[in-house]
Amino acid sequence: VADPQPHWLAVLGTPGPIAVDLGELGGHVLNGLGMGAIFAFIALGYTMVYGIIKLINFAHGEFFMVGAFTGYFVLRDLELERLDLPQPLPVLLPFLAALTAASRASGTLAVVTERLAYRPVRRAGRIAALLTAVGVSLLLQNLAIQAWGAAGRGYPDPRTWVSVDAIPDPADANYWVRRVTVTTVGATVTDQDRVIVEGQPVTAQDRQRLREGGHAEVYRRITLSKETMQGFVLLALALWAPVLWFLVKRTRLGKAMRAVSEDHDAARLMGIPIDRVVSATFFLGAFVAGVGGVAYCATYGQVEPLTGFLPGLKAFVAAVIGGIGSIPGAILGGLILGVTEGVVPYLLREAGWEDALAWKHAIAFAFLILILLLKPTGLLGKAVREKV
Amino acid sequence: MPAAGPCALAVQLGPDAFWWTSVLVLVGIYALLGLSLNLINGYARMFSLGHHGFWAMGAYAAAWWTLQHREALPDVGVFLASCAFAMAVAAAGGLLIGIPCLRLRGDYLAIATLGFGEIVRIAIQNSDRATLGGSLGLEVPRALMAVTRETRGEFRLLWVGIVVATVALVALLVRNYVRSPRGRAMLATAQDEVAAGLLGINPVRSKVAAFAIGSTLAGLAGALYAHYSGFITPLDFTFMEMVKIFLVVVLGGLGSISGCILAAFLLIYIEQALAVQGSEVVPVLVPRLPAEWTWVKDWWQVEYALILVLLMIFRPRGLLGPRELPEVVRDLARRLLRRRGRARA
Repeated sequence: VADPQPHWLAVLGTPGPIAVDLGELGGHVLNGLGMGAIFAFIALGYTMVYGIIKLINFAHGEFFMVGAFTGYFVLRDLELERLDLPQPLPVLLPFLAALTAASRASGTLAVVTERLAYRPVRRAGRIAALLTAVGVSLLLQNLAIQAWGAAGRGYPDPRTWVSVDAIPDPADANYWVRRVTVTTVGATVTDQDRVIVEGQPVTAQDRQRLREGGHAEVYRRITLSKETMQGFVLLALALWAPVLWFLVKRTRLGKAMRAVSEDHDAARLMGIPIDRVVSATFFLGAFVAGVGGVAYCATYGQVEPLTGFLPGLKAFVAAVIGGIGSIPGAILGGLILGVTEGVVPYLLREAGWEDALAWKHAIAFAFLILILLLKPTGLLGKAVREKV
Repeated sequence: MPAAGPCALAVQLGPDAFWWTSVLVLVGIYALLGLSLNLINGYARMFSLGHHGFWAMGAYAAAWWTLQHREALPDVGVFLASCAFAMAVAAAGGLLIGIPCLRLRGDYLAIATLGFGEIVRIAIQNSDRATLGGSLGLEVPRALMAVTRETRGEFRLLWVGIVVATVALVALLVRNYVRSPRGRAMLATAQDEVAAGLLGINPVRSKVAAFAIGSTLAGLAGALYAHYSGFITPLDFTFMEMVKIFLVVVLGGLGSISGCILAAFLLIYIEQALAVQGSEVVPVLVPRLPAEWTWVKDWWQVEYALILVLLMIFRPRGLLGPRELPEVVRDLARRLLRRRGRARA
């Protein structure tokens, strides 16, 4: 493969320093909004599934992770440049393909999971269902560790992998091993010698060893500016939220979903195919989470089997803050949580608490407890009156 | 406590006994955690996911107390005082989170307590290196006896004794509490809060009591864990541990004491027996898998999760259901007898 083409951001027009100086606080708000939009993407799935079968789907973060990994493989291995398309297609298409594949992979996984694990316990009570979800989450995490290794991998730029000899700037630490193809040393290479494995950053020594030992392909870690990605995520949320809202409020499927959520038995008696509706809900929720997964990993430049855990937990918190079961609530909760997490530690640090940033996650949970104490069913949640 | 004098009994444990004692102590600690969570989730029917937080509070409180009194060690008094301190700290934590959060219901309570558990862990992680060790962990001085190569066996046996005694005591306490007037008030509140209120029961009080007792006992488990392991880190108290405790309660059948202990045993045994596969010596009473089955060890976390999911699918109400062990045995015996009687007739 020849010298990589100019970096694709150059194609889109390199973003100079943003003309409007938002100031530091504005930067934190924007950061928080970007993170919050990702929370919202995940929270949508939590809230839809909870709304329909009252299950905290702990495995939702893993659907997100699988989506992110799917996107990783598509971005890394889709060799679109062979088609010789005009710019900027060779850089935009892989992203579109990654998002499409990721959302479908997550969605499919969710449907399969629902069918195999959740449906058998749906009648067995909430606690059994919850533990099943936790078990599925652990299972998927550990399967991913077995399949892809526990170490984090750099998230790839589309179409920028090259042969190891062709890394343009030897000092560039953003290249990661894609695959080691042939070793001239052949059979004498033991596992200990093959220190360089797929999905590892390439160091200077590695480069030397790879050059001697055979042929390796490397890819470039994604180097988008955070602002670009956050802008993209917010844009995607703005596109997706109305679509979901429309689906739930204005289509037959949405009507069926709302009916099942209201009363399972009555819905069944009205001829609604409950199982199909539940499957569809899982698919939709995970579909959106897959988009979020690619966006999240592209923003932070890394993917690993545990990628889904913390964002998943946070997104669940976001769904609860917004009032679980409510779609606008999930979006609102996600954005509020993101901004709180971005801004409050910063303000606390300004106020003289130096470690405030390390307490970021604790602050998010404390915020959750506070909101729940003020509004016990979340911001937009329905208060259920207890009947006697 | 056995003084480490020349006349002290020098116990040497073989590798089998060594493995089994460590398993038994772990079983005891998880049984304690299960029993305490059972009080909250099983009997009082409050959905709490913050137990790892109380456990961590107990462990760190005991460690802190022991460190403050390290000159006096080894001393039984310090050990007991540290346990009492741990229970007090965990109880305070339970009241702190319990009183405001008991307005919440069901899953909202679950997520609020989960948030609390995570806050505790993050707080420990960010704590001062000198006092609580921060993210690197904290070494707990041995309060009861110095542990060397020679006294290791003695130490293990002592701990098996302590843990077994504590579990028995706590099981008795939980049983008696549930049967006491207050316990019955708690059960009534769990059934129907409004109806219980109409019967003159103060639902808030019985809920807070269940929460406080549960967290106190978790604090005790934490103290025992800290003293036994001798080294604690925030990573010992992650959400994964919460899942394990919860699993003990659910597998045991929500609201069953003997089931809880049995489930703790099974869980730890399976976990440790899978983890020990592939090592040179496999302890007695652990089936040795064929050597070429290396995947059993490589994939054990996957298998563990799979077992969890399958158990939930096929035994969603726990191994025994919400019944005590003697009841189950009696039932089984009766069914066998009846079958034999029918065969004869």
